Amino acid sequence: MKVYVPRDYSACAMGADEVARAIEREAARRGLSLDLVRNGSRGLYWLEPLVEVERNGERIGYGPITEEEVEGLFSAGFLEGKEHPARLGDPEEIPYLRRQKRLVFRRMGRTDPLSLDAYRQQGGLAGLTRALTLSPQQIVEEVTKSGLRGRGGAGFPTGIKWKTTLQAAADRKYIVCNADEGDSGTFSDRMVIEGDPFLLIEGMIIAGLAVGATEGYVYLRSEYPLARRVFAEALEKARAVGMLGDDILGSGKSFALNLYIGAGAYVCGEETALLESLEGKRGMVRPRPPLPAIRGLWQKPTVVNNVITLASVPVILADGAEAFAQLGVGRSKGTLPVQLSGNLKRPGLVEVPFGITLEELLFEYGGGTASGRPLKTIQIGGPLGPFLPPSLFPVTLDYEELTKVRGIVGHGGIVAFDDTVNLGRMARYAMEYCAGESCGKCTPCRIGSTRGMELLDQILSGKKGPEAAELLVDLCDVMVNASLCGLGGMTPFPVLSGLRFFPEDFGYSKEEVEPLLQKV
Amino acid sequence: MRNGARQITVWIDGKEVTVPEGTSVLRASALAGVGVPKLCATDSLEPFGSCRLCLVEIEGKRGFPASCTTTVEPGMKVKTFSERLAGLRRGVMELYISDHPLDCLTCPADGDCELQDMAGDVGLREVRYGYAGKNHLQAEKEKSNPYFTFDPAKCIVCSRCVRACDEIQGTFALTVEGRGFDSLIQPGPTGEFLSSECVSCGACVQACPTSALMEKAVIDLGLPSESTDTTCAYCGVGCSFHAETKGTTVVRMTPNKESLSNHGHSCVKGRFAWSYASSRDRVTKPMIRKRIEDPWQEVSWTEAIEHVASEFLRIREKHGRNSIGAVSSSRCTNEEDYIVQKLVRAVFRNNNIDTCARVCHSPTGYGLRKAFGESAGTNPFDSVDQANLIFVVGANPTDGHPVFGSRMKQRLRAGAKLIVADPRRTDLVRTPHIEADIHLPLRPGTNVALLNAIAHAILEEKLENREYIEARCDLTAYAKWREMILRPENSPEAMGPVTGVPAEAIRAAARLYATTRPAAIYYGLGVTEHSQGSTGVICLANLAMLTGNVGLDGAGVNPLRGQNNVQGACDMGSFPHELAGYRHVSDETARRGFEQAWGIEIDPEPGYRITNMLSAATIGEFKGLYMHGEDLVQSDPDASHVIAGLRNMELVVLHDIFLNESSHYAHVFLPGCSFLEKDGTFTNAERRIQLVRQVMPPLCGKQEWEVVQEIAQAMGYPMHYHHASEIMDEVARLTPTFHGVSFEKLARLGSIQWPCNEKAPEGTPVMHRGEFVRGKGFFALTGYVPTREKVSERFPLLLTTGRILFHYNVGTQTRRTANTTWSKEDLLEIHPSDAEERGIRDGDKTELRSRKGSVVMRCLVSERVAPGTVYATFHFPENRTNVLTTENSDWATNCPEYKVTAVQVTRVFEPVRAEERENGKPAKRREIVPAAGE
Amino acid sequence: MIEDLVQMANQIGDFFDSYPSQEEAVAGIADHLKRFWTPSMREKLLAYAEEDGRELSQPVRSALARLQKPVAGA
Repeated sequence: MKVYVPRDYSACAMGADEVARAIEREAARRGLSLDLVRNGSRGLYWLEPLVEVERNGERIGYGPITEEEVEGLFSAGFLEGKEHPARLGDPEEIPYLRRQKRLVFRRMGRTDPLSLDAYRQQGGLAGLTRALTLSPQQIVEEVTKSGLRGRGGAGFPTGIKWKTTLQAAADRKYIVCNADEGDSGTFSDRMVIEGDPFLLIEGMIIAGLAVGATEGYVYLRSEYPLARRVFAEALEKARAVGMLGDDILGSGKSFALNLYIGAGAYVCGEETALLESLEGKRGMVRPRPPLPAIRGLWQKPTVVNNVITLASVPVILADGAEAFAQLGVGRSKGTLPVQLSGNLKRPGLVEVPFGITLEELLFEYGGGTASGRPLKTIQIGGPLGPFLPPSLFPVTLDYEELTKVRGIVGHGGIVAFDDTVNLGRMARYAMEYCAGESCGKCTPCRIGSTRGMELLDQILSGKKGPEAAELLVDLCDVMVNASLCGLGGMTPFPVLSGLRFFPEDFGYSKEEVEPLLQKV
Repeated sequence: MRNGARQITVWIDGKEVTVPEGTSVLRASALAGVGVPKLCATDSLEPFGSCRLCLVEIEGKRGFPASCTTTVEPGMKVKTFSERLAGLRRGVMELYISDHPLDCLTCPADGDCELQDMAGDVGLREVRYGYAGKNHLQAEKEKSNPYFTFDPAKCIVCSRCVRACDEIQGTFALTVEGRGFDSLIQPGPTGEFLSSECVSCGACVQACPTSALMEKAVIDLGLPSESTDTTCAYCGVGCSFHAETKGTTVVRMTPNKESLSNHGHSCVKGRFAWSYASSRDRVTKPMIRKRIEDPWQEVSWTEAIEHVASEFLRIREKHGRNSIGAVSSSRCTNEEDYIVQKLVRAVFRNNNIDTCARVCHSPTGYGLRKAFGESAGTNPFDSVDQANLIFVVGANPTDGHPVFGSRMKQRLRAGAKLIVADPRRTDLVRTPHIEADIHLPLRPGTNVALLNAIAHAILEEKLENREYIEARCDLTAYAKWREMILRPENSPEAMGPVTGVPAEAIRAAARLYATTRPAAIYYGLGVTEHSQGSTGVICLANLAMLTGNVGLDGAGVNPLRGQNNVQGACDMGSFPHELAGYRHVSDETARRGFEQAWGIEIDPEPGYRITNMLSAATIGEFKGLYMHGEDLVQSDPDASHVIAGLRNMELVVLHDIFLNESSHYAHVFLPGCSFLEKDGTFTNAERRIQLVRQVMPPLCGKQEWEVVQEIAQAMGYPMHYHHASEIMDEVARLTPTFHGVSFEKLARLGSIQWPCNEKAPEGTPVMHRGEFVRGKGFFALTGYVPTREKVSERFPLLLTTGRILFHYNVGTQTRRTANTTWSKEDLLEIHPSDAEERGIRDGDKTELRSRKGSVVMRCLVSERVAPGTVYATFHFPENRTNVLTTENSDWATNCPEYKVTAVQVTRVFEPVRAEERENGKPAKRREIVPAAGE
Repeated sequence: MIEDLVQMANQIGDFFDSYPSQEEAVAGIADHLKRFWTPSMREKLLAYAEEDGRELSQPVRSALARLQKPVAGA
């Protein structure tokens, strides 16, 4: 008898650990022996803690469950799949999940993340097994054909990046996984590392085979202690069975993988600052060129990819590039694990092919605001993403389409706000965020973010006239166009979008701000 | 990368310019004559891209790339100015100034501030943010360093200082603390420059675009109005400086970027420690006295010169032609050294001329001449950039030759391998981002044993460069040497126990040195100041020939000369057996040249060395000495021998800028000039001749060559130079390796590495290319002869000596500057186990006793030295090294064995001043009576 | 002074000790004394060698014997 309680940071925040302990206690009290599996979360966070029972190969979910409800759950006969107010039936039949197209997250929540057997049974290692039969060029070709683009935010074609590193001649190359997932409202990287860590390991090995790198690093943010524990254990297991090491799955090829914990700087999610940090230096952005693909870690050719990018690779190798490329629209191929959060009824992980509208995501998946008030705006792409008004909700999820409306896909995080939000305050928060996270290297970000904060304080207190708006726009212009990296360069996005769509929140009229906004 | 061979043509504002691949757009613009505003970029630092002023527009590229970090691409079309760019730059500058005081008029950098210039350049007219926001305007100034201050209020966080400290100096003392708006330059965790790792080289001050890092002298005196290029008078690196003055007052010395010896870098001594030149201790009037017990009597120049001349004539008349002589100085100019040896040869009419190079690098001259045919190092400093292996033997460049040390560290950080042979774990062995591949911590006095064993291992393992040896070397000599080296007693296994270095480490060093090409040897007094000093130099030369490492870039045998003009003093004929250009006095052709020019006959037999002069004095055969810029009592071996000799003389003339230890035994004191007060040339360790230019008038009224000339004239010999340059003209005329040298050419080229003549009109950076000066390279035999100085029960430890960064030799200059802030006394380094055995704790006062004498010093318990070895510096007069050191000296050149003395160390509670014990009451003998009428 | 000279001369002798033949060693010592010592120093050592010479090593004594003529003629 198997009972699943997720060991996932968000689920745990909702009480999953307490629920798991209560189930063990209650089973012991009742003299029942059951096999408690801590699975990953399925990403239906409004249902966490989501307890599942496996009977005859079928799963029945109950959720959300509190610690106090456990005893009642036993009494109701949940182990036999009996009725209970929280009974959800087969979780995979819940429309929210059923309607998704889960490729990268296909195993998520189904298994014990640290069981390699379960990983294999659920289709794991198929991609790597195939990659081991291909030449580096063939692997790169396959990834290129899939149309996979960097999921960290920049959307750069992964195949092209890999090809650059493959062609760079060097005695040593590296694969670096950017797991410094710092954007507010994003959690897909964490879910993978906590819920399906072998998938990331497999993706990184394939990347190593593709570009000729035999060593890799996962740069994990320090704020993910559970992910750290899970991944460290997964690494041990992968090494023990020869998935990693000098003889990958008996192929004679080698790849070593290390886990590195960051020190709490948002800017280290920027790949060159990440590399500096990985080298033991202060996390400051390096100018480009040279590209990391040519001179990266320790000045050697280095592929730096986001977790989801690397986690997409085994699927592409296993199912073939065609299958991946068939999904999506235009130049945005495959699926994107969208993360819904903020003021929504059903926050969670939604992996869908590109091409879905924002509206569908927000209402059909997200279920509208949790507060029941009107949805005023969403911020898409992290704390530096723009705010979009409802008039833009019909736009489809697509790199190019979103760019047209000054939006970004980013890392796929969407945060929803109801009509109680003040965009002036949010703009001020963006500047504050930048001021707090700026590495201090370039002037627009180092001084500009603080001045922006101060200026917005004055604007919001009503002490300044329209000339302050002009200065704010000028500042944003300098930050966008003169900053060294995306931190300073994107901070104005939420500010300018707020000003553009909701000028009244700043105390200005549309007529006052529109001519100013022509500039940027 | 920036020296890439591929040339790329780009257009900057329509101007075509062709530059090497890898050049930045900013640099290409400068080459096209287009100035782009910038603050964080300089041409001596790697691109950083932080100030965001140098943004440009590039056709076909999105946005506004920073020109400093963008490299040229073929056909690139760059626009450096547009309204859009102007707006962005103004916006960036507006941000800068929103956190910068508006006190330009009272700022010490007013008129010399890049921020000010850029604000003007971008046309900033107002700061719309106001000054009510967060700022650093009230930040406190950091003043702990005696020479410069750090004012965070003026700091624009461009990191130029941090990068200069890292990239140029290699100390990594500075960092940026905090992030974002709170970013602050910090010298280590204390926030204080003085107690940090900072070595006060001044690179950060030089790099700072504002007055955040500012010389205190400029704060006090204002910006200098004139600048004169001259050459530093400290070590043998020979850094070129701009001496910046107001009137006749030096305000600051800034390193010369164009100079090939220092490339714009400096150390704490050259950059800051020059105030000794205006010290109150300077003696500026001639003085005489009858007996050394008498007080000094100030006299006029005429009287002093008459007195000196008549006394020398009287003594020569009475005691014979060989009873007088002179010692010249490696601190003085080539022209002064030349004229002093001329005084001896042409006026005294003997060869009793020696120089203080005797006690430091005389074995270099002997050894390198024997092996290669020329008494000089083989390669320029710049050559280190091409070395793939650096072998440092008995030298501590980061302290002794800091500017070159930094250069070497740059190369090491870029990947060159490093072997260090030194009894002590010097900084180079492990310093930020550098770790020696092999450290050979040999017992003092066993260089020859170690180097022979390395040669043995190379030969035994057949790693020698046979092709090179066959083409370039004397094969008969080589065969004999090979036979000797391969004897079992020279094997690493046999010599390991002698040197205290495991045989395997010796073999590893041999393999690394022989298999990494090119490999460069750098060595110092740790090789020369031994009873087998000359043999040690020959060993190094043999190793270099054995592996084919002479006559090419990145290789060679390179002495790190201790003093500014050791090379020059030797070049100028300051040794008793040689005429200028290293020609033996028995060489008739050479002699005839000088005889014709000088109208006298030159003695074809060698004269006395310093030690011989003193010995001869003790038996009454030597009676009169002219001591030019030299302090025998302080710096020559066996102080009692020196004092006995001087006491026995009838005339001791001292020509110096301070009363020194030898002045207690002098009858005449002639005031000299600091390097700031005279014209001439210095020749650094890489044979580079550089101009020394007068920056302020001589305090005593006469340049030193004038004084020597007047003595010669008073002795009846005609000498009529009008300027130092005429002395160099004479040297050039009479010395084949200097035929092409003149002040005019030096001024034009900046510097010249001799040989400079018809064959090499602009000088010779790398010597022995294709062929050795002597024809075939000569392998002299180098049997190991242990020094007579051995440890015993009474003296169980071996003392070796060295220099620290902040002081220079006997400290005459540096002790008269604020460098004493860092180091107020000498320290004895002792291994914890040796200290423990003696009940000595860190900081205890200890007595250091040898067979010859004793001194008292504070102890530093340190694992830098091996058990059984102690190490001390001798920068302070109360701890004269020669009180301890023995009479042992190099067999070939009599260079004293300063690096090996058997000693015992005991803890003391009552410090006793060595000076008091030795000399009774020195104070009295320093009394000066002013000239009548003053 | 003579002690200094004897020690210096013996030290020079030690260096040439590693030469394969006595002949080369003696020639080397003699040449060194000729090139670097003053005539008066050589004379003093010669005088010592003639009247006592016990402290001098054999090769040095041979070298001095060889020097005698040219010195006398100088």
